[in-house]
Amino acid sequence: MVSQKAVEFKGTKEGLLIKIRENQDFMVVKDSLIKQIDKAGEFFKGAKILDIECPDIEDEKKEELKSIVQHHFKLSFVEKEERIEIDRPFEGIKEGMTKFHHGTLRSGQQVSYQGNIVVFGDVNPGAVVTAYGNIVVFGSLRGIAHAGANGNKDATVTAIHLNPTQLRIANLIARAPDEKQSNKNTMEIAGVKGDMVYIESINHKGKKKGEK
Amino acid sequence: MGKVIVITSGKGGVGKTTATANIGTALAKLEKTVVVVDADIGLRNLDVVLGLENRIVYDIVDVVEGVARLRQALIKDKKHQGLHLLPAAQTKDKNAISPEQMKELIGQLKEKFDYVLIDCPAGIEQGFKNAIVGADEAVVVTTPEVSAVRDADRIIGLLEAAEIHDPKLIINRLRYDMVKRGDMMNTDDMLDILAIDLLGVVPDDESIVISTNRGDPVVNQIASMAGESFRNIARRINGENVPFEEFKIELGFMERVRGLFKINSH
Repeated sequence: MVSQKAVEFKGTKEGLLIKIRENQDFMVVKDSLIKQIDKAGEFFKGAKILDIECPDIEDEKKEELKSIVQHHFKLSFVEKEERIEIDRPFEGIKEGMTKFHHGTLRSGQQVSYQGNIVVFGDVNPGAVVTAYGNIVVFGSLRGIAHAGANGNKDATVTAIHLNPTQLRIANLIARAPDEKQSNKNTMEIAGVKGDMVYIESINHKGKKKGEK
Repeated sequence: MGKVIVITSGKGGVGKTTATANIGTALAKLEKTVVVVDADIGLRNLDVVLGLENRIVYDIVDVVEGVARLRQALIKDKKHQGLHLLPAAQTKDKNAISPEQMKELIGQLKEKFDYVLIDCPAGIEQGFKNAIVGADEAVVVTTPEVSAVRDADRIIGLLEAAEIHDPKLIINRLRYDMVKRGDMMNTDDMLDILAIDLLGVVPDDESIVISTNRGDPVVNQIASMAGESFRNIARRINGENVPFEEFKIELGFMERVRGLFKINSH
């Protein structure tokens, strides 16, 4: 197991993640970290470090590693606040922050929220609803709805009349079929299964079809 | 290097968007590569007329702001290989793009396509200025109404001031029966006032309404009179010499009898 290094670097969207393997001697870790950054030379210049991931190292030692990276190599860490915002998909899908919008959204109008959105009214073609969580429309959804906008694939879009131009959930996009559809008179819910957006009708008990 | 043509009118509702969609489609039928650009930011329509609304993910403002690359924002037409749409943004307004940005963008499109058709918004403000900034040529659309002709005249003046010379005229929604009765301005009346070259005359045709609502340009219908006119306009733009079409008008019985007498009296 020579190839498994004590310290590994992983690139993520937000910045570099420094991963440290478990059950390592701290001195070995420290040495390995310094060696690797030294070896990479210019490669890491200007890079932002997201975090140091080390399951079994005490906080003080982690701070020591951080200060080595920061001062010895002049690399900066991504600020905590800006991280939380971009890093974690919204988690309040079962229970969480919700915005209630009263009134119809017309073409060109937009509602965005870092939580769930409930619209009392219609969403017309050309209007856009963007939520980090679920979207519920008490009316006709004919425009664009983007649920789970910062990455939560469990988010859903529900409407009394679900007839959107486009549905987006997390990073998936589904568009309406080109043929005109018949008007279904049931409430419908859209969600992600695997890598596809599925639409199901909700029966009068408020459960999805097939659920018991 | 392609040709950039702006389709404009001054007055709203005369058929700029319909003309752009149909000429674009007809040029694609002639196996040209075409991009139609919706410059009507905030009031976009071209996507709807082409039936491509549900495919829009990125728009012209996203490209200008660097949110998306040009290639990501271009939407391929359903039927025609060579036809592409660059949609407008709906949630922004005309000031979201500056003329310099537009010029740069049109310059990029010009390198990739044979024809760049720009659907200009109504009016003579920022949106109009943005739409004409990168154009090599202009097509002015008017209808046989005094108000539309007046606005077309103003637009021709503004185009000349912007050094876009020799715009071509499309007369849209002409009703030959009304012209014949003397109830509508005829082609010559309009050409007298506007004094520019005629590119084509499109008759008033119900099939336009139907095809627009369906999101399927009328040039796709072989039997449509308006479709035939737009196909001919595209061929003229493409450099062919196509004679102006004469449309037969359904006349009532009495008019036909009168017509016979007229012929006999000569």
